[in-house]
Amino acid sequence: MPTITIDGRTIEAPAGAMLLPVALENGIHIPHYCWHPKLSIDGSCRMCQVEVEGSPKLVIACNMPIRDGMEVRTNTPAVHNARRGVMELLLVNHPLDCPICDKAGECLLQDYSFNFGSRQARTQEPRRKLQKRKDIGPRMILDQERCILCRRCVRFCREITGTHELGVFNMGDRSVLDVLDGIPLANDYSICTADICPVGALESKDFHHKLRVWFLKKTESVCPSCANGCNITVNHHRNQIWRLMPRRNDAANACWMCDHGRLNYQYVNSPERLRTPLLRTNGQLAPCEWDEALTAGATQLRRIARASGGNSIAAVASPHLTNEESFRFAQLLRALAVTNVDVAVRCGAADTFLIKSEKAANARGARDMGLCPGADGVGLPALLESAAKGQIRALYVCGPDLWETADRQLLENALSRLDCLIVQDLFRSPLSERAHVVLPSLTFAEKAGTFTNFAGRVQRVRCAIQPLDDQPSDGEIFSRLLGQLVEGRWTFDPEAVFTEIAQAVPKYAGLTDSKVGLLGWALPADDTPPLAGAAEARA
Amino acid sequence: MATRVVIVVRPRPMRQSWARTAFALLVGLWVTNRHFVRNLWGFLRRKPTVFTVQYPEQRLALPDAFRGMPVLVQMDNGKERCVACGLCEWACPTDCITIFPDETADEIERYPKVFDIETSRCMFCGLCEEACPEEAIVMSQQMEIATYTRHGTLWHKQDLLVPVSKLERRLQYLRRGYDR
Repeated sequence: MPTITIDGRTIEAPAGAMLLPVALENGIHIPHYCWHPKLSIDGSCRMCQVEVEGSPKLVIACNMPIRDGMEVRTNTPAVHNARRGVMELLLVNHPLDCPICDKAGECLLQDYSFNFGSRQARTQEPRRKLQKRKDIGPRMILDQERCILCRRCVRFCREITGTHELGVFNMGDRSVLDVLDGIPLANDYSICTADICPVGALESKDFHHKLRVWFLKKTESVCPSCANGCNITVNHHRNQIWRLMPRRNDAANACWMCDHGRLNYQYVNSPERLRTPLLRTNGQLAPCEWDEALTAGATQLRRIARASGGNSIAAVASPHLTNEESFRFAQLLRALAVTNVDVAVRCGAADTFLIKSEKAANARGARDMGLCPGADGVGLPALLESAAKGQIRALYVCGPDLWETADRQLLENALSRLDCLIVQDLFRSPLSERAHVVLPSLTFAEKAGTFTNFAGRVQRVRCAIQPLDDQPSDGEIFSRLLGQLVEGRWTFDPEAVFTEIAQAVPKYAGLTDSKVGLLGWALPADDTPPLAGAAEARA
Repeated sequence: MATRVVIVVRPRPMRQSWARTAFALLVGLWVTNRHFVRNLWGFLRRKPTVFTVQYPEQRLALPDAFRGMPVLVQMDNGKERCVACGLCEWACPTDCITIFPDETADEIERYPKVFDIETSRCMFCGLCEEACPEEAIVMSQQMEIATYTRHGTLWHKQDLLVPVSKLERRLQYLRRGYDR
């Protein structure tokens, strides 16, 4: 491996690597705008110029292949002078929009301007006027005055999505970033261009003029909107989610995430969320205390299990539960000797990049935790059929997916024959209106645990916002039901349950918190298709 | 717990002396009476020598540097100068400012939909004024902000708007500071 010296530090790097990524990986920050780890090299911003021994001029680090014995200096007067010059040139025309710009606070131009910029402008000419607030797509707006022409977004649309919407038009100092008339920036990943924009030229309409970024607190999590499990950062403030941002994980989503997943967070703060449990008394669903609802549910389940055995109970698990919660649910069902278990998953459009057809984060994890038909049990459509025949007396449904996927007529027939229906969901739905006990559940942002994505990668979800009224998580609900049905002290601590999973589930054996870490852990490959029942649920 | 008795030895009090007491009494009376006679004399000559201001009927002219209630500058077109950049909210050490921005079709595309100051928390430090890049929030000379109700301490945008003409002196004072 070639050895190079940067600022007196000796660094070993793989042959053929470029200087800039090598320096960044070793904690030497070279300022840059146009270079991005997942895009091709453009070399247009000239910000990353450094001094290389033996070279007559400064060279740009992003396009400089390393060679053995190379000696690089990033802190000399010549380098500082070059950076100051680049900054001055960029700021000649950049508008003084910082107080109203959504990027302020995470803007590279702002940061480098503090580091290398001049306090005063040497020009007195008016700044150039271009289009501001240009509507370039259903989710994006463009401010041409702010653009510094780094072409990251152009390369993104060319190399990552292959849709070629954005381009730089005209030449020289008249260059301007734009879209062609009639071809809006409307691809499924369009908001990623706002992430990679080093200034506030491209802005997401969803976050436009919503909140200053320095108020946001950031929690690492996993996107719950499909089985891909893109790594995200939940940006929250005042116990509310304001935006979801992709987090780099080369094994799952690189630096990107789809627009649907990014914008699918409004439901977390919806005022229509179920917050108190409901219990059917005298034919009407009425709010009640948690203990009351859980006792009623546990009593019904115990009565039916004792009277006609575990086969007369069926459960439809939610693919939105974490592994830990699914594990507890499986324990609860085993305690009742229930074998008719399945996971309902809503499916939708998929593409070849990040969007997967299963629109839930943890269908595979739920199956891995044992939420699949037992030896003499039946899976999803058959489960409803036997309920319609009257063979099943109690049904425990988690999540909204059963109502969204199942055949309505079949579901109607099944529901009409049930003695007891327990529904655990975020919102009131036609299904929960038929229930005997309704238990509110929590979203991905309010609980901790792990999700297993479609490829078997276990990734950690962290609690970003506090649930209102100390609402118990789904896992706590299962634990408290277990406490009523089985002797022993059942509590729900996601980390302790994770350790239990690592001991009890063979595929997850030996998994520890440090192995999962920030970026997840790939499970050993196996032959069973991860979502065997999903196709049936769709049918 | 058992009580532990500690005997404290205190110094003896100063010896009382009738002569000393009488002297102190006379000095006190002399001071009071001197003021009384002087003020009476000034009052009769219609040139009072006391420094008491008969507030609220009389008021002193406050200096430009006085920091009263922070208010929002209202431009001549009736709109606020504030663009809801949130720097005052961030600078505020007592977190008494709450801003929710929104967008308009005007040339200045951003304005505060909500701008609240919780006056009971404000400590008149003036950091909001210092942070403001638009000269939109300034410290006024308003200091009579007591209310009879508790929710009266929360000032909304409409309560905070003050026409720019009334704040001219403070703005000029600030600009003098920037020039230095």
